[in-house]
Amino acid sequence: MHKQDKMTPMERLNAFMTGQPMDRILAIPVACSMSGRACGMTHKTKRSTAENEAQAQIACYERFGNDLLIAEYGLHGVGMALGSKMSDPEDSVPAILEYALENLADVDKLDPSLLSLEKDEKFRLHLETVKILVEKMGSEIPTGVLISGPFTAVSSVYKTEYLLRATRKDKENLHKLLRFCTDGLKKIYREFVGAGAMILFCDPIASGTIISRKQYLEFVLPYTKELMQEIHDAGGMVCYHICGDTTSIVEDMVESGCDMLSIDNKVDLKRTKERIGDKVPLLGNVDPVEILILGGPKEVELSVKKCIMDAYDSKCGYILASGCDLNGDVPLENLDVFMESARKYGKYPVGPQNWEA
Amino acid sequence: MGKKEEYLKRLSDGVVEMEEDDVAEACQEYLDAGYPAFDGIMGGLVDGMNRASQLYEEEEYFVTDVLLCSDAMYAGLDILRPHLPDEDGETKKKGVIGVVEGDTHDIGKNLVKIMLETAGFEMTDLGRDVPLQKFVDTAEEKNADMICMSTLMTTTMGGMETVIHMLEEAGLREQVKVLIGGGPISQKYADKIGADGYSANAVEAVKLAKRLLNII
Repeated sequence: MHKQDKMTPMERLNAFMTGQPMDRILAIPVACSMSGRACGMTHKTKRSTAENEAQAQIACYERFGNDLLIAEYGLHGVGMALGSKMSDPEDSVPAILEYALENLADVDKLDPSLLSLEKDEKFRLHLETVKILVEKMGSEIPTGVLISGPFTAVSSVYKTEYLLRATRKDKENLHKLLRFCTDGLKKIYREFVGAGAMILFCDPIASGTIISRKQYLEFVLPYTKELMQEIHDAGGMVCYHICGDTTSIVEDMVESGCDMLSIDNKVDLKRTKERIGDKVPLLGNVDPVEILILGGPKEVELSVKKCIMDAYDSKCGYILASGCDLNGDVPLENLDVFMESARKYGKYPVGPQNWEA
Repeated sequence: MGKKEEYLKRLSDGVVEMEEDDVAEACQEYLDAGYPAFDGIMGGLVDGMNRASQLYEEEEYFVTDVLLCSDAMYAGLDILRPHLPDEDGETKKKGVIGVVEGDTHDIGKNLVKIMLETAGFEMTDLGRDVPLQKFVDTAEEKNADMICMSTLMTTTMGGMETVIHMLEEAGLREQVKVLIGGGPISQKYADKIGADGYSANAVEAVKLAKRLLNII
């Protein structure tokens, strides 16, 4: 346990879920992609073995006392397993160079067995990471896995620009591809839930910055509901995140059946709190780039303070978080300040006395 | 409305309504009727694309709509362009555009390219995952007025600053404006690395390019 805390993250989460008092607000700077920095590993080193990935997460927890360990199955896993070619950068998340599916009409030729644990080495690696984290740390801190939702999974198989055109011009085959990826994701989620991970369901390509609400309702929400149900049937818990501007689909995202809703910094936290009411707990939304990468300690403190002031009274609870996964050149000192500020402004009972001194 | 105006309206509406096949067909009929290609492009296709970008700005249209509108515009351009009189290309402002090395997310870049071409810029598209030196080499070779770079990844943002340093070393920084954009990019970041401008979306990028290059 971090020396400045009085409860472990596991005790804090249990208190949060059952409405019991806790020492401070839950705080999750999403230290996933960049976590190797906490122990001097590049992203390539971190992603090369399950032991390294687990070690990077534990190093973050030891330094920051953040409330969740996160394995990085990532956004491109489905495409990679199906044959999308990736770059292999030293200190960055790999990017897609070639797509497994060139022609959407070939969707029927995709082989579902490639997504199985037996055939997908990366899937095995990240599942192993979760197992290590749960075994070593499970009594003290919960473990999650960052993993793509259906629309983003599709975009790792078939180029996004073509995918967008297909939402008008080839709906039939696009729905087939969504069906294929959704069925694949169900099995993948089940394995992670079975190993004890909370699902951090991320679907950035479904962002309002890229698609309209109409497209979201037609191509994303139906598959998302199925996946949320699958996670619950497996006994799991899920936090739903879409990057960018999701203002127009906040209620739809809640309707998916998620257990928690996470929003990016482009969305108004206070307004979202009012819109979701008592339906689900809310996570957000310190700006990952402007504040946590480019900002200084004072800006981090003010941003954390503002988030807590805006959302601490969310009817179903509030968890302080960064607006998105942290990647790239994040000064670790900024995450120290993030957590210190969470302890200061999020000290229980949270209220104006914490910031009006 | 005269016959020519009717054609121009059909071209413009066809772009706005994403009717790729009809636009191509209408362009051919327009040429066959003996009207000049240049007017068809400016008063028809580009007019339609400008209306589409206006709708995008008003959040009536989304990325998908703009892509499909541009498909219709390019289908028409393929037919009209060969019939343009000899290029007056010298008067066009030139730009080099691409997604910086390490990143392959290129929808935003493609939208910006479409909008800039519509606005009359001559763009050289280097694609995605572009080696940084290539921005500088191409700008020099094409005698470009600006370099436009985008990225969606925080880990590849730094490449933009490197390109600016490379331009300085090559002695080209004074003559080439640098415009940047993409998910994690901001005005603050543009200021930090010494870029000439940042824009949040493709429509703004055109206004920015015009402002930086003193085009009214």
